[in-house]
Amino acid sequence: MVIVAPSETRTAAAPLPPEPSRARLAARDLAEGLAKSWMWTALALEDIRLRYRGSMLGPFWLTISTVVMAAGMGLVYSQVFRVQTESYVPYLTVGLILWQLIASLINEGCEVFVRAESVIQQVPIAFSIHVYRSVCRNVIILAHSLIVIPPMLLLFGIRVDWHVLEIIPGLALLIANGVWITLLLGVFGTRFRDISPIVGNFMQVLFFLTPIIYPIEALREWRGIATWNPFFAAIDVVRAPLLGTVPEGSSWVILVLWTLVGSALAFALFARFRGRIAYWI
Amino acid sequence: MAFLRLRDISVDFPIYSVGSRSLKKILFNTTSQGNLARDARDRVTVHALADLNLDIEHGDRLALIGANGAGKSTLLKVLAGIYEPTGGRLHADGRVSALLTASVGLNPDATGRENIIIRGMYMDVHPRDMRPRVDEIADFTELGPYIDMPVRTYSAGMMVRLCFAVATAVHPEILLMDEWLGAGDASFLHKARKRMEEFVSSTSILVLASHSMPLLEEWCNRAILLDRGHIVAAGDVAEITALYNARSG
Repeated sequence: MVIVAPSETRTAAAPLPPEPSRARLAARDLAEGLAKSWMWTALALEDIRLRYRGSMLGPFWLTISTVVMAAGMGLVYSQVFRVQTESYVPYLTVGLILWQLIASLINEGCEVFVRAESVIQQVPIAFSIHVYRSVCRNVIILAHSLIVIPPMLLLFGIRVDWHVLEIIPGLALLIANGVWITLLLGVFGTRFRDISPIVGNFMQVLFFLTPIIYPIEALREWRGIATWNPFFAAIDVVRAPLLGTVPEGSSWVILVLWTLVGSALAFALFARFRGRIAYWI
Repeated sequence: MAFLRLRDISVDFPIYSVGSRSLKKILFNTTSQGNLARDARDRVTVHALADLNLDIEHGDRLALIGANGAGKSTLLKVLAGIYEPTGGRLHADGRVSALLTASVGLNPDATGRENIIIRGMYMDVHPRDMRPRVDEIADFTELGPYIDMPVRTYSAGMMVRLCFAVATAVHPEILLMDEWLGAGDASFLHKARKRMEEFVSSTSILVLASHSMPLLEEWCNRAILLDRGHIVAAGDVAEITALYNARSG
Protein backbone atom coordinates (compact mmCIF):
# COMPACT_ATOMS: atom_id res chain seq x y z
CA MET A 1 0.00 0.00 0.00
CA VAL A 2 1.39 3.40 -0.93
CA ILE A 3 -0.26 6.56 0.22
CA VAL A 4 1.30 9.82 -0.84
CA ALA A 5 -0.17 12.69 1.03
CA PRO A 6 -0.56 16.20 -0.46
CA SER A 7 2.37 17.46 1.59
CA GLU A 8 4.69 15.32 -0.54
CA THR A 9 3.68 16.91 -3.82
CA ARG A 10 6.05 19.81 -3.16
CA THR A 11 8.91 17.33 -3.41
CA ALA A 12 9.46 18.00 -7.08
CA ALA A 13 9.19 21.76 -6.64
CA ALA A 14 12.69 22.81 -5.67
CA PRO A 15 15.46 21.68 -8.02
CA LEU A 16 18.80 21.21 -6.26
CA PRO A 17 21.96 23.09 -7.20
CA PRO A 18 24.56 20.99 -9.03
CA GLU A 19 26.46 18.54 -6.88
CA PRO A 20 30.08 19.44 -6.07
CA SER A 21 32.69 16.91 -7.17
CA ARG A 22 34.37 14.54 -4.74
CA ALA A 23 37.66 16.40 -5.08
CA ARG A 24 35.95 19.67 -4.23
CA LEU A 25 34.27 18.13 -1.19
CA ALA A 26 37.60 16.72 -0.03
CA ALA A 27 39.35 20.06 -0.55
CA ARG A 28 36.56 21.79 1.36
CA ASP A 29 36.93 19.28 4.20
CA LEU A 30 40.68 19.92 4.42
CA ALA A 31 40.29 23.71 4.24
CA GLU A 32 37.43 23.89 6.75
CA GLY A 33 39.38 21.72 9.15
CA LEU A 34 42.49 23.85 8.79
CA ALA A 35 40.48 27.01 9.45
CA LYS A 36 39.29 25.57 12.77
CA SER A 37 42.78 25.66 14.24
CA TRP A 38 41.39 26.61 17.64
CA MET A 39 39.44 23.36 17.72
CA TRP A 40 42.23 20.94 16.89
CA THR A 41 44.79 22.74 19.03
CA ALA A 42 42.46 22.67 22.02
CA LEU A 43 41.62 19.00 21.41
CA ALA A 44 45.31 18.12 21.01
CA LEU A 45 46.16 19.84 24.30
CA GLU A 46 43.26 18.05 25.94
CA ASP A 47 44.60 14.71 24.62
CA ILE A 48 48.00 15.37 26.15
CA ARG A 49 46.52 16.50 29.43
CA LEU A 50 44.39 13.36 29.68
CA ARG A 51 47.16 11.02 28.56
CA TYR A 52 49.47 12.25 31.30
CA ARG A 53 46.85 12.92 33.96
CA GLY A 54 48.19 12.07 37.40
CA SER A 55 51.76 11.95 36.14
CA MET A 56 54.02 14.54 37.73
CA LEU A 57 56.25 15.20 34.73
CA GLY A 58 53.71 14.51 32.00
CA PRO A 59 55.15 14.53 28.48
CA PHE A 60 58.56 15.33 29.94
CA TRP A 61 58.82 11.63 30.82
CA LEU A 62 59.29 11.06 27.12
CA THR A 63 62.04 13.67 27.10
CA ILE A 64 63.75 11.98 30.03
CA SER A 65 63.56 8.53 28.47
CA THR A 66 65.11 9.95 25.30
CA VAL A 67 67.95 11.50 27.29
CA VAL A 68 68.55 8.29 29.24
CA MET A 69 68.51 6.19 26.08
CA ALA A 70 70.80 8.59 24.24
CA ALA A 71 73.25 8.72 27.13
CA GLY A 72 73.36 4.93 27.52
CA MET A 73 73.51 4.10 23.84
CA GLY A 74 75.83 7.03 23.20
CA LEU A 75 78.46 5.73 25.59
CA VAL A 76 78.31 2.14 24.35
CA TYR A 77 77.95 2.66 20.61
CA SER A 78 80.57 5.39 20.38
CA GLN A 79 82.97 2.64 21.49
CA VAL A 80 81.46 0.06 19.12
CA PHE A 81 81.58 2.36 16.09
CA ARG A 82 84.85 3.93 17.32
CA VAL A 83 83.55 7.47 16.94
CA GLN A 84 84.02 10.43 19.26
CA THR A 85 81.53 10.50 22.10
CA GLU A 86 81.16 14.29 22.01
CA SER A 87 79.96 14.30 18.40
CA TYR A 88 78.12 10.97 18.53
CA VAL A 89 75.86 11.65 21.53
CA PRO A 90 74.31 14.85 20.07
CA TYR A 91 73.89 13.09 16.70
CA LEU A 92 72.11 10.19 18.35
CA THR A 93 69.93 12.38 20.59
CA VAL A 94 68.66 14.59 17.78
CA GLY A 95 68.08 11.54 15.58
CA LEU A 96 66.11 9.75 18.29
CA ILE A 97 63.95 12.79 19.02
CA LEU A 98 63.08 13.23 15.35
CA TRP A 99 62.45 9.52 14.91
CA GLN A 100 60.06 9.60 17.86
CA LEU A 101 58.05 12.30 16.08
CA ILE A 102 58.00 10.42 12.78
CA ALA A 103 57.17 7.04 14.32
CA SER A 104 54.36 8.32 16.51
CA LEU A 105 52.88 10.36 13.65
CA ILE A 106 52.79 7.23 11.53
CA ASN A 107 51.64 4.79 14.21
CA GLU A 108 48.89 7.08 15.46
CA GLY A 109 47.98 7.98 11.89
CA CYS A 110 46.72 4.44 11.25
CA GLU A 111 44.08 4.81 13.95
CA VAL A 112 43.22 8.46 13.58
CA PHE A 113 39.64 7.85 12.42
CA VAL A 114 39.09 4.62 14.34
CA ARG A 115 39.87 6.37 17.62
CA ALA A 116 37.52 9.22 16.75
CA GLU A 117 34.69 6.75 16.14
CA SER A 118 32.31 8.10 18.77
CA VAL A 119 32.73 11.62 17.39
CA ILE A 120 32.40 10.63 13.75
CA GLN A 121 29.22 8.67 14.54
CA GLN A 122 27.69 11.59 16.45
CA VAL A 123 28.65 14.93 14.98
CA PRO A 124 29.30 15.95 11.41
CA ILE A 125 32.64 17.74 11.61
CA ALA A 126 35.34 17.80 8.94
CA PHE A 127 37.34 14.56 8.91
CA SER A 128 40.52 16.58 8.56
CA ILE A 129 40.03 17.94 12.10
CA HIS A 130 41.02 14.52 13.46
CA VAL A 131 44.09 14.52 11.23
CA TYR A 132 45.26 17.99 12.28
CA ARG A 133 44.57 17.09 15.89
CA SER A 134 46.84 14.06 15.72
CA VAL A 135 49.64 15.97 13.98
CA CYS A 136 49.32 18.89 16.39
CA ARG A 137 49.47 16.58 19.40
CA ASN A 138 52.70 15.02 18.18
CA VAL A 139 54.28 18.39 17.39
CA ILE A 140 53.49 19.58 20.92
CA ILE A 141 55.10 16.43 22.32
CA LEU A 142 58.13 17.04 20.09
CA ALA A 143 58.43 20.55 21.52
CA HIS A 144 58.88 19.02 24.98
CA SER A 145 61.84 17.00 23.73
CA LEU A 146 63.41 19.81 21.74
CA ILE A 147 64.26 21.73 24.90
CA VAL A 148 67.05 19.28 25.74
CA ILE A 149 68.89 20.18 22.55
CA PRO A 150 70.29 23.67 23.33
CA PRO A 151 71.87 22.65 26.68
CA MET A 152 73.23 19.50 25.05
CA LEU A 153 74.85 21.47 22.23
CA LEU A 154 76.44 23.74 24.82
CA LEU A 155 77.62 20.79 26.89
CA PHE A 156 79.36 19.15 23.94
CA GLY A 157 80.67 22.44 22.64
CA ILE A 158 78.99 22.22 19.26
CA ARG A 159 79.12 25.49 17.37
CA VAL A 160 76.07 26.49 15.37
CA ASP A 161 75.79 29.51 13.10
CA TRP A 162 72.86 31.07 11.28
CA HIS A 163 72.53 27.88 9.21
CA VAL A 164 70.61 26.54 12.20
CA LEU A 165 67.62 28.49 10.83
CA GLU A 166 67.35 25.82 8.13
CA ILE A 167 65.58 23.66 10.68
CA ILE A 168 62.50 25.87 10.22
CA PRO A 169 61.75 24.84 6.61
CA GLY A 170 62.92 21.36 7.56
CA LEU A 171 60.41 21.04 10.41
CA ALA A 172 57.70 22.61 8.25
CA LEU A 173 58.23 19.91 5.62
CA LEU A 174 58.22 17.23 8.31
CA ILE A 175 54.85 18.49 9.56
CA ALA A 176 53.44 18.67 6.02
CA ASN A 177 54.49 15.07 5.56
CA GLY A 178 52.86 14.21 8.86
CA VAL A 179 49.55 15.55 7.56
CA TRP A 180 49.44 13.54 4.36
CA ILE A 181 50.75 10.36 5.96
CA THR A 182 48.13 10.60 8.71
CA LEU A 183 45.40 11.20 6.11
CA LEU A 184 46.54 8.32 3.90
CA LEU A 185 47.09 5.80 6.69
CA GLY A 186 43.96 6.99 8.45
CA VAL A 187 41.79 6.08 5.46
CA PHE A 188 43.61 2.78 4.89
CA GLY A 189 43.70 1.89 8.55
CA THR A 190 39.95 2.41 8.93
CA ARG A 191 39.16 0.09 6.05
CA PHE A 192 41.80 -2.52 6.86
CA ARG A 193 42.30 -2.96 10.56
CA ASP A 194 45.53 -4.87 10.20
CA ILE A 195 47.31 -1.92 8.62
CA SER A 196 48.17 -0.66 12.07
CA PRO A 197 50.22 -3.68 13.27
CA ILE A 198 51.80 -4.06 9.83
CA VAL A 199 52.94 -0.46 9.90
CA GLY A 200 54.16 -0.88 13.49
CA ASN A 201 56.45 -3.73 12.44
CA PHE A 202 57.56 -1.89 9.35
CA MET A 203 58.59 1.11 11.45
CA GLN A 204 60.79 -1.07 13.64
CA VAL A 205 62.68 -2.32 10.63
CA LEU A 206 62.94 1.20 9.23
CA PHE A 207 64.48 2.40 12.47
CA PHE A 208 67.47 0.18 11.82
CA LEU A 209 67.60 0.95 8.10
CA THR A 210 67.75 4.68 8.75
CA PRO A 211 71.03 6.23 9.94
CA ILE A 212 69.99 7.23 13.46
CA ILE A 213 72.13 5.12 15.77
CA TYR A 214 74.96 4.99 13.22
CA PRO A 215 76.41 7.65 10.95
CA ILE A 216 75.65 7.38 7.24
CA GLU A 217 79.32 6.82 6.49
CA ALA A 218 79.12 3.52 8.36
CA LEU A 219 77.04 2.12 5.50
CA ARG A 220 79.98 2.48 3.08
CA GLU A 221 78.95 0.97 -0.29
CA TRP A 222 75.36 0.63 0.97
CA ARG A 223 75.14 4.37 1.42
CA GLY A 224 72.63 4.60 -1.43
CA ILE A 225 69.85 2.92 0.55
CA ALA A 226 70.05 5.71 3.12
CA THR A 227 70.36 8.50 0.57
CA TRP A 228 67.15 7.42 -1.10
CA ASN A 229 65.39 6.71 2.17
CA PRO A 230 62.86 9.55 2.68
CA PHE A 231 63.00 8.98 6.44
CA PHE A 232 66.70 9.68 6.38
CA ALA A 233 66.11 12.79 4.24
CA ALA A 234 63.51 14.04 6.73
CA ILE A 235 65.82 13.54 9.70
CA ASP A 236 68.87 14.83 7.85
CA VAL A 237 67.45 18.22 6.91
CA VAL A 238 66.75 19.01 10.56
CA ARG A 239 69.60 17.15 12.25
CA ALA A 240 72.46 18.45 10.13
CA PRO A 241 71.84 22.20 10.61
CA LEU A 242 71.25 21.64 14.35
CA LEU A 243 74.67 20.01 14.66
CA GLY A 244 76.39 22.62 12.55
CA THR A 245 76.93 20.27 9.61
CA VAL A 246 75.59 20.25 6.07
CA PRO A 247 72.81 17.84 5.01
CA GLU A 248 73.41 15.41 2.16
CA GLY A 249 72.94 17.19 -1.17
CA SER A 250 70.05 14.91 -2.11
CA SER A 251 68.05 15.20 1.13
CA TRP A 252 66.10 18.37 0.34
CA VAL A 253 65.23 17.20 -3.19
CA ILE A 254 64.06 13.81 -2.00
CA LEU A 255 62.02 15.24 0.84
CA VAL A 256 60.29 17.83 -1.36
CA LEU A 257 59.49 15.23 -4.04
CA TRP A 258 58.24 12.80 -1.40
CA THR A 259 55.99 15.53 0.04
CA LEU A 260 54.50 16.38 -3.35
CA VAL A 261 53.91 12.80 -4.48
CA GLY A 262 52.60 11.74 -1.08
CA SER A 263 50.22 14.68 -0.79
CA ALA A 264 48.79 14.02 -4.25
CA LEU A 265 48.32 10.34 -3.41
CA ALA A 266 46.75 11.03 -0.04
CA PHE A 267 44.42 13.63 -1.52
CA ALA A 268 43.27 11.28 -4.28
CA LEU A 269 42.58 8.53 -1.77
CA PHE A 270 40.81 10.86 0.63
CA ALA A 271 38.68 12.36 -2.15
CA ARG A 272 37.66 8.90 -3.31
CA PHE A 273 36.85 7.37 0.08
CA ARG A 274 35.98 10.31 2.37
CA GLY A 275 32.30 9.44 2.17
CA ARG A 276 32.97 5.84 3.16
CA ILE A 277 34.89 6.47 6.37
CA ALA A 278 31.76 6.75 8.51
CA TYR A 279 30.50 3.40 7.14
CA TRP A 280 33.78 1.62 7.72
CA ILE A 281 34.07 2.56 11.35
CA MET B 1 15.85 29.34 6.52
CA ALA B 2 16.92 25.86 7.43
CA PHE B 3 15.90 23.01 5.16
CA LEU B 4 16.73 19.41 4.29
CA ARG B 5 15.96 18.24 0.77
CA LEU B 6 16.48 14.66 -0.31
CA ARG B 7 16.49 13.38 -3.88
CA ASP B 8 16.60 9.66 -4.64
CA ILE B 9 18.65 9.02 -1.52
CA SER B 10 19.93 5.45 -1.21
CA VAL B 11 22.20 3.93 1.38
CA ASP B 12 23.79 0.55 0.83
CA PHE B 13 25.69 -0.86 3.74
CA PRO B 14 28.55 -3.17 2.99
CA ILE B 15 28.80 -5.69 5.80
CA TYR B 16 32.42 -6.56 6.38
CA SER B 17 32.83 -9.87 8.06
CA VAL B 18 35.96 -10.14 10.13
CA GLY B 19 37.55 -11.99 7.25
CA SER B 20 36.77 -9.71 4.35
CA ARG B 21 37.84 -6.71 6.33
CA SER B 22 41.39 -7.96 6.65
CA LEU B 23 43.96 -7.18 4.07
CA LYS B 24 45.13 -10.78 4.15
CA LYS B 25 41.92 -12.09 2.71
CA ILE B 26 41.95 -9.62 -0.16
CA LEU B 27 45.61 -10.30 -0.89
CA PHE B 28 44.97 -14.03 -0.85
CA ASN B 29 41.97 -13.59 -3.06
CA THR B 30 43.95 -11.62 -5.59
CA THR B 31 46.80 -14.08 -5.60
CA SER B 32 44.92 -17.36 -5.44
CA GLN B 33 41.89 -16.45 -7.50
CA GLY B 34 43.09 -13.25 -9.09
CA ASN B 35 39.77 -11.56 -8.62
CA LEU B 36 39.39 -8.64 -6.29
CA ALA B 37 36.09 -7.58 -7.83
CA ARG B 38 34.56 -10.88 -6.97
CA ASP B 39 35.35 -10.35 -3.37
CA ALA B 40 33.65 -7.00 -3.64
CA ARG B 41 30.61 -8.59 -5.23
CA ASP B 42 30.54 -11.48 -2.81
CA ARG B 43 30.24 -9.35 0.25
CA VAL B 44 26.82 -8.87 1.76
CA THR B 45 25.20 -5.51 1.17
CA VAL B 46 22.22 -4.23 3.06
CA HIS B 47 19.98 -1.75 1.32
CA ALA B 48 19.21 0.45 4.29
CA LEU B 49 17.48 3.21 2.36
CA ALA B 50 16.13 3.14 -1.19
CA ASP B 51 15.25 6.13 -3.39
CA LEU B 52 14.00 8.47 -0.73
CA ASN B 53 12.47 11.75 -1.86
CA LEU B 54 11.57 14.16 0.85
CA ASP B 55 11.55 17.88 1.55
CA ILE B 56 11.77 19.05 5.12
CA GLU B 57 11.29 22.78 5.45
CA HIS B 58 11.29 25.42 8.18
CA GLY B 59 8.61 24.71 10.75
CA ASP B 60 8.37 21.01 9.99
CA ARG B 61 8.23 18.60 12.91
CA LEU B 62 8.67 15.30 11.19
CA ALA B 63 7.98 11.95 12.83
CA LEU B 64 9.80 8.87 11.54
CA ILE B 65 7.68 5.82 12.09
CA GLY B 66 8.57 2.25 11.30
CA ALA B 67 9.47 -1.12 12.74
CA ASN B 68 12.97 -1.95 13.90
CA GLY B 69 15.30 -2.03 10.93
CA ALA B 70 13.06 0.11 8.76
CA GLY B 71 15.86 2.64 8.29
CA LYS B 72 14.94 5.33 10.79
CA SER B 73 18.35 5.63 12.39
CA THR B 74 20.15 5.44 9.07
CA LEU B 75 17.96 8.21 7.73
CA LEU B 76 18.77 10.35 10.77
CA LYS B 77 22.47 9.80 10.18
CA VAL B 78 22.12 10.80 6.55
CA LEU B 79 20.22 13.94 7.54
CA ALA B 80 22.91 14.73 10.11
CA GLY B 81 25.59 14.53 7.44
CA ILE B 82 27.30 11.60 9.14
CA TYR B 83 26.58 9.07 6.41
CA GLU B 84 27.19 10.29 2.89
CA PRO B 85 24.43 8.60 0.86
CA THR B 86 25.66 6.01 -1.63
CA GLY B 87 23.13 7.25 -4.17
CA GLY B 88 21.10 10.40 -4.74
CA ARG B 89 21.79 13.61 -2.91
CA LEU B 90 21.01 15.67 0.10
CA HIS B 91 20.89 19.44 0.06
CA ALA B 92 20.85 20.90 3.54
CA ASP B 93 21.15 24.25 5.16
CA GLY B 94 21.21 25.07 8.86
CA ARG B 95 23.18 24.02 11.90
CA VAL B 96 22.37 20.41 12.69
CA SER B 97 22.48 18.70 16.04
CA ALA B 98 21.89 14.99 16.30
CA LEU B 99 20.98 13.29 19.56
CA LEU B 100 21.32 9.74 18.37
CA THR B 101 22.49 7.72 21.33
CA ALA B 102 22.93 8.91 24.85
CA SER B 103 25.94 6.93 25.93
CA VAL B 104 28.41 7.67 23.17
CA GLY B 105 30.45 10.79 22.68
CA LEU B 106 31.80 11.21 26.18
CA ASN B 107 35.46 10.84 26.98
CA PRO B 108 35.58 8.47 29.97
CA ASP B 109 38.86 9.81 31.33
CA ALA B 110 37.84 13.46 31.31
CA THR B 111 35.73 14.96 34.09
CA GLY B 112 32.11 15.94 33.60
CA ARG B 113 33.11 19.57 33.35
CA GLU B 114 35.78 18.85 30.74
CA ASN B 115 33.34 16.78 28.75
CA ILE B 116 30.97 19.72 28.60
CA ILE B 117 33.75 21.85 27.07
CA ILE B 118 34.80 19.07 24.67
CA ARG B 119 31.29 18.42 23.47
CA GLY B 120 30.85 22.16 22.98
CA MET B 121 33.89 22.16 20.73
CA TYR B 122 32.44 19.41 18.57
CA MET B 123 29.34 21.57 18.23
CA ASP B 124 31.57 24.39 17.03
CA VAL B 125 31.44 26.41 20.24
CA HIS B 126 34.77 27.85 21.30
CA PRO B 127 35.83 26.87 24.87
CA ARG B 128 35.95 30.60 25.63
CA ASP B 129 32.20 30.84 24.91
CA MET B 130 31.39 27.53 26.57
CA ARG B 131 33.13 28.18 29.89
CA PRO B 132 30.59 30.73 31.21
CA ARG B 133 27.81 28.22 30.58
CA VAL B 134 29.43 25.23 32.23
CA ASP B 135 28.03 26.03 35.67
CA GLU B 136 24.48 26.28 34.40
CA ILE B 137 24.85 22.93 32.62
CA ALA B 138 26.49 21.35 35.66
CA ASP B 139 23.64 22.58 37.87
CA PHE B 140 21.11 21.02 35.59
CA THR B 141 22.74 17.59 35.84
CA GLU B 142 22.46 17.67 39.68
CA LEU B 143 25.66 15.64 39.78
CA GLY B 144 27.09 17.76 42.63
CA PRO B 145 30.76 17.06 43.30
CA TYR B 146 30.76 14.25 40.73
CA ILE B 147 30.93 16.86 37.98
CA ASP B 148 34.66 17.15 38.73
CA MET B 149 35.24 13.38 38.66
CA PRO B 150 36.22 11.36 35.58
CA VAL B 151 33.17 10.16 33.70
CA ARG B 152 34.23 6.52 34.01
CA THR B 153 33.31 6.68 37.71
CA TYR B 154 29.69 7.56 36.84
CA SER B 155 26.71 5.27 37.09
CA ALA B 156 24.66 4.72 33.93
CA GLY B 157 22.00 7.14 35.14
CA MET B 158 24.56 9.84 35.86
CA MET B 159 26.03 9.35 32.41
CA VAL B 160 22.60 9.90 30.83
CA ARG B 161 22.09 13.09 32.82
CA LEU B 162 25.40 14.50 31.69
CA CYS B 163 24.87 13.51 28.06
CA PHE B 164 21.45 15.00 28.00
CA ALA B 165 22.49 18.26 29.63
CA VAL B 166 25.49 18.64 27.34
CA ALA B 167 23.64 17.71 24.17
CA THR B 168 20.86 20.19 24.83
CA ALA B 169 23.16 23.04 25.84
CA VAL B 170 23.77 24.28 22.32
CA HIS B 171 20.66 25.20 20.36
CA PRO B 172 20.72 24.04 16.74
CA GLU B 173 18.45 25.03 13.88
CA ILE B 174 17.83 21.45 12.91
CA LEU B 175 17.38 18.88 15.64
CA LEU B 176 17.51 15.17 14.86
CA MET B 177 16.56 12.77 17.63
CA ASP B 178 16.49 9.06 18.01
CA GLU B 179 14.34 8.00 20.91
CA TRP B 180 16.62 7.56 23.88
CA LEU B 181 15.01 9.52 26.64
CA GLY B 182 14.17 6.30 28.44
CA ALA B 183 16.88 6.32 31.09
CA GLY B 184 17.21 8.33 34.24
CA ASP B 185 14.98 8.43 37.30
CA ALA B 186 11.48 9.86 37.34
CA SER B 187 12.31 13.29 38.74
CA PHE B 188 15.06 13.78 36.20
CA LEU B 189 12.80 12.61 33.38
CA HIS B 190 10.30 15.30 34.30
CA LYS B 191 13.03 17.93 34.29
CA ALA B 192 14.48 16.62 31.05
CA ARG B 193 11.12 16.78 29.38
CA LYS B 194 10.70 20.42 30.27
CA ARG B 195 14.13 21.25 28.93
CA MET B 196 13.42 19.24 25.80
CA GLU B 197 10.26 21.22 25.16
CA GLU B 198 12.15 24.50 25.32
CA PHE B 199 14.86 23.07 23.15
CA VAL B 200 12.47 21.76 20.51
CA SER B 201 10.41 24.94 20.36
CA SER B 202 13.51 26.99 19.57
CA THR B 203 14.54 24.86 16.60
CA SER B 204 13.49 25.43 13.04
CA ILE B 205 13.20 21.75 12.11
CA LEU B 206 12.72 18.66 14.24
CA VAL B 207 13.02 15.10 13.00
CA LEU B 208 12.13 12.55 15.64
CA ALA B 209 12.28 8.78 15.41
CA SER B 210 10.30 7.00 18.08
CA HIS B 211 8.06 4.07 18.84
CA SER B 212 6.02 6.12 21.28
CA MET B 213 2.95 7.24 19.33
CA PRO B 214 1.68 9.69 21.99
CA LEU B 215 5.09 11.39 22.00
CA LEU B 216 5.09 11.71 18.22
CA GLU B 217 1.54 13.01 18.13
CA GLU B 218 2.38 15.62 20.71
CA TRP B 219 5.59 16.91 19.14
CA CYS B 220 5.23 16.40 15.40
CA ASN B 221 3.09 17.85 12.65
CA ARG B 222 4.10 15.54 9.80
CA ALA B 223 5.00 11.89 9.62
CA ILE B 224 6.47 9.39 7.22
CA LEU B 225 6.22 5.64 7.49
CA LEU B 226 9.35 3.72 6.62
CA ASP B 227 9.42 0.06 5.72
CA ARG B 228 12.61 -1.72 4.73
CA GLY B 229 14.20 1.48 3.54
CA HIS B 230 11.26 2.83 1.55
CA ILE B 231 8.86 5.63 2.37
CA VAL B 232 5.55 3.83 2.12
CA ALA B 233 3.31 6.62 3.31
CA ALA B 234 3.44 10.26 4.29
CA GLY B 235 0.89 12.52 5.85
CA ASP B 236 -0.20 13.84 9.21
CA VAL B 237 0.82 12.06 12.36
CA ALA B 238 -2.55 10.60 13.40
CA GLU B 239 -3.11 9.17 9.91
CA ILE B 240 0.30 7.54 9.71
CA THR B 241 0.29 6.17 13.25
CA ALA B 242 -3.11 4.61 12.54
CA LEU B 243 -1.72 3.10 9.35
CA TYR B 244 1.35 1.81 11.16
CA ASN B 245 -0.74 0.23 13.88
CA ALA B 246 -3.01 -1.37 11.31
CA ARG B 247 -0.04 -2.80 9.40
CA SER B 248 1.77 -4.12 12.42
CA GLY B 249 -1.39 -5.34 14.15
